[in-house]
Amino acid sequence: MSQHALDGAPLLEVKDLAVAFHTPRGTFRAIRNASLTVHRGELVGLVGESGCGKSTLAFAVMGYLPDTADVGGSLRFEGNEISKMSDAELCELRGNRIAMVYQDPATSLTPTMRVGAQIQEVLREHLRMDAERARERTVELFESVRLADPAAVGMRFPHELSGGQQQRVVIAMALACDPDLLIMDEPTTGLDVTTEATILDLVADLKTRVNAGILYVSHNLGVIARVADRVSVMYAGQTIEEADVRDLFKNPRHPYTAGLLSCVPKPLGASGAVTKLSAIPGSVYPAGEGDVEACLFADRCPSVQDACREQAPPMALTDVGSSSRCLFWAGVRPGMWGADEEREEALPTNGAEPVLTAKSIRRFYGSWKRKYLFFGPRVQPPVRAVTDVDFTVGRGRTLGIVGESGSGKTTVARAVVGLVPLTGGENQLHGEALARNVDDRTRGQQAAMRMVFQNPTASLNPKMPVRHAILRSLKKFTSLNSRERRERAVELMEAVGLSADYLSRRPGELSGGQQQRVALAGAFAGSADVIVADEAVSALDVSVQAQVLNLLKAHQREEGVSYIFISHDLAVVRYVSDDILVLYAGHVAECGPADSVLAAPSHPYTEALLSAAPVPDPDAEPTRIRLEGAVPTLREAFKGCFFAGRCPRKIGSVCDEKPPPARTGPGSAEHVIYCHIPVDELAEMQQPGADPVDATSASSR
Amino acid sequence: MLRFLIARLSTIGVTLLVVSGAIFVVTEILPGDVAQMMLKKEATEERLAALRAELNLDRPAHVRYLSWIGGVVRGDFGDSYVQKRPISEIVPRRIAHSLVLALFALVLGVPVAVAAGVWAGVRPDTLWDRVVSTVGLVGISLPEFVTGVMLMLVLASTLHWLPPSSHILAGTTPWTRPEILVMPALTLMGVLFAYIMRMTRANVMEVMQTPYVRTAVLKGLPMRRVILRHVLPNAMLPTITIIATNFGWMLGGLIIVENVFSYPGLGQLLLRSIQTRDVPLLEALSLLIAATYAFSNLVADLAYTALNPRIRYA
Repeated sequence: MSQHALDGAPLLEVKDLAVAFHTPRGTFRAIRNASLTVHRGELVGLVGESGCGKSTLAFAVMGYLPDTADVGGSLRFEGNEISKMSDAELCELRGNRIAMVYQDPATSLTPTMRVGAQIQEVLREHLRMDAERARERTVELFESVRLADPAAVGMRFPHELSGGQQQRVVIAMALACDPDLLIMDEPTTGLDVTTEATILDLVADLKTRVNAGILYVSHNLGVIARVADRVSVMYAGQTIEEADVRDLFKNPRHPYTAGLLSCVPKPLGASGAVTKLSAIPGSVYPAGEGDVEACLFADRCPSVQDACREQAPPMALTDVGSSSRCLFWAGVRPGMWGADEEREEALPTNGAEPVLTAKSIRRFYGSWKRKYLFFGPRVQPPVRAVTDVDFTVGRGRTLGIVGESGSGKTTVARAVVGLVPLTGGENQLHGEALARNVDDRTRGQQAAMRMVFQNPTASLNPKMPVRHAILRSLKKFTSLNSRERRERAVELMEAVGLSADYLSRRPGELSGGQQQRVALAGAFAGSADVIVADEAVSALDVSVQAQVLNLLKAHQREEGVSYIFISHDLAVVRYVSDDILVLYAGHVAECGPADSVLAAPSHPYTEALLSAAPVPDPDAEPTRIRLEGAVPTLREAFKGCFFAGRCPRKIGSVCDEKPPPARTGPGSAEHVIYCHIPVDELAEMQQPGADPVDATSASSR
Repeated sequence: MLRFLIARLSTIGVTLLVVSGAIFVVTEILPGDVAQMMLKKEATEERLAALRAELNLDRPAHVRYLSWIGGVVRGDFGDSYVQKRPISEIVPRRIAHSLVLALFALVLGVPVAVAAGVWAGVRPDTLWDRVVSTVGLVGISLPEFVTGVMLMLVLASTLHWLPPSSHILAGTTPWTRPEILVMPALTLMGVLFAYIMRMTRANVMEVMQTPYVRTAVLKGLPMRRVILRHVLPNAMLPTITIIATNFGWMLGGLIIVENVFSYPGLGQLLLRSIQTRDVPLLEALSLLIAATYAFSNLVADLAYTALNPRIRYA
């Protein structure tokens, strides 16, 4: 960030903003007191947990709030008050001077219109271009966001593009009229980590290329560290800290910021043992509560003092030049949420007795399609979701499964518990073959394997108190009588950190994190041997995610349960897993002990995944390997290597022609790698001096 | 696309075959003997037997069904018992009349209903929305013979703006006196308006909440463009199915409206064929109406496909 950027008048100045929504169920204070500035040429990050008012702030800047909103304070763009503008003035501003990029590109583009036309209408509306000129400009814009084949992309419909391509289109649309202010609301949330990395590269590049101010909203500290110059942290509708990005990560001056930082699993590749995660207890101060003269974070703060409950702290300037809404900012340390204690290892890492074994499991979806309904030649084979996957889960150990969306993670999980029957191969529990369908398994086998899903709201019956879900599991899978079951339910709730009175509440009265803990209590109920957690913490905020992860670990130590833990977040998988299975297009890329797989990546796909994962450290070296495109949908068996189409390290025709051999990893004999490149040669390629990798040349379908 | 068409057409074929069987069974069960009905008081045992032989009524049911369906496939629906003429001579003119009326009501009614629905859906809970929604509810609730008779009382008997009866004189077409179409069409529109308006309103309200409409608004486009280009094409998708289903209903289910206004369409013919036990005519008309339903649904699916780029039949 250049110094002169800070000097002139700010482009956007939000001062003491308050937004309340009046609804029949009461008044919700989405924003209580938020102040921030964005100057031309800088990227300001806005972070905080869900429900802190980040998105409301972003939409307030666009002048896009429902009629029920009551706006106080000021919100100025180039000195003009946005909340006082007429509809015509707003139309003039939106898409032209201020443009926005949205969280979910798939739903943010009109499905019935070609994407080119959706950009051309902006150009024609604001810049009065004729049709011909608008078409040319659209192609230029597509080029500038590095879309392959820019001339053809404009003729496609949104559903014909991948998530990454859709987001590039949305960014191109935002850049169409050279806006002065760009607002990006979680632009990479929901995208694959590999796609996220390429979009973040683009954002970093935009920062230097366009002379606009950018407000970047995200809950992901790794993303913020990668792109932001300055950061504002929001909590319960207040901006509570504002700092230069390095100061924020190195010298946080608000307990909440320090807490958020210690909830994130430590960066990958950090040497030494994994440290235990801290968690922020409780949940965000509810928006439905009235304003109080106190610090809103007091109830969750580890170093709360009496003064914190007696006055609302003002924004104070700190020793490092940042501002903090904490009376005792001088006492904030990175370690205040608990010292970096070493995570206790579960059980001996070697020679654990295998609990669950998958032998060459296959799952194909659909059946052969014929040319005419029931007749004619067979034209379309079924989709090969999972092809010949092998793995073993040891007693008391956790197998992490990683891979992009479409790589077959969820299908493996569902096939293991029997929700989708296998097409081939076999699952074994304690050496005994499991029936393919969950209904054909014995009661004991059903009790031995439980599943926890990504979305707890959808997996609990909204009409029933949560007691119902837990008691039912106990009734089905244990021989306790009804009084014992009730006692056990209370124990289970306490085990997941919820008091007994939560049993009589309905899921709707619980927060997402509490619901997921109830779901875990249900999974723990039958004393399962294996619990399959499919993206079980992905929808949770970092503070809650840490609680749930620690809970899983604690339960494993006490009960010796095994987990299959599926996540797209490598840092999280690394934190919980003893073994890691890397899946690509339904094939095993590599599988082995976590340290061996992640410490020095010995498969190009793992290397690309690691390279793409954002690191919550602004000084982290930007990584170089990028994967374009998405996991292909497979209908034919691969002739050569399954990853050859996108591999940045492809060594030649052998990759296309021969299936990769199984190699043994450098650190452990249990580490299997399917790649044509010998492990030591790949390590050589990864040396800093080696030829730079150009992944964009790889196929992007 | 070809694959899809083949699949759909063969499904329609099977459907119509099943329907033809059902119709035949129903006419068999229908009380009253056709020969008895036709001869009335002149019925003697010999004459009845002779007539039954002439009409092939003495042959077993499955033989009669097969010979009937064989004729249908060749385009020969047999002769009407009552009019003593080939059915293929009687029906086409009636189809034309009903089509004219149905299309007239559609062309007049759909744009009005869609416009009202969009208007109400864009500004839910305003006075205009409440008025339109109430009118829609009334339209759905009132049976056609009530609205039809009310229209007749007001427009024909009191104001004398329109002729009370919509019969068509021999040798003329509905277009000779287009004013006779107005009242039946208005009656049909009453029901049509309610369905289509409410459907459009609900869809528009839903689409207005989508992120892509938010995107369109935040692009700085004027509201009119947002609605025409971004809301309407998406909100119309489910509405099209409703319109098509209604078209099937309008052709086949005009019995009440056509009889209230004495309009000589399919519905009137159908009613008379039931009253006179004119079984071949009844069978032919029922099959025809079933086919109309099937094909208007096919047309709806094709229109849906054309408007919705996410669906492409390979």
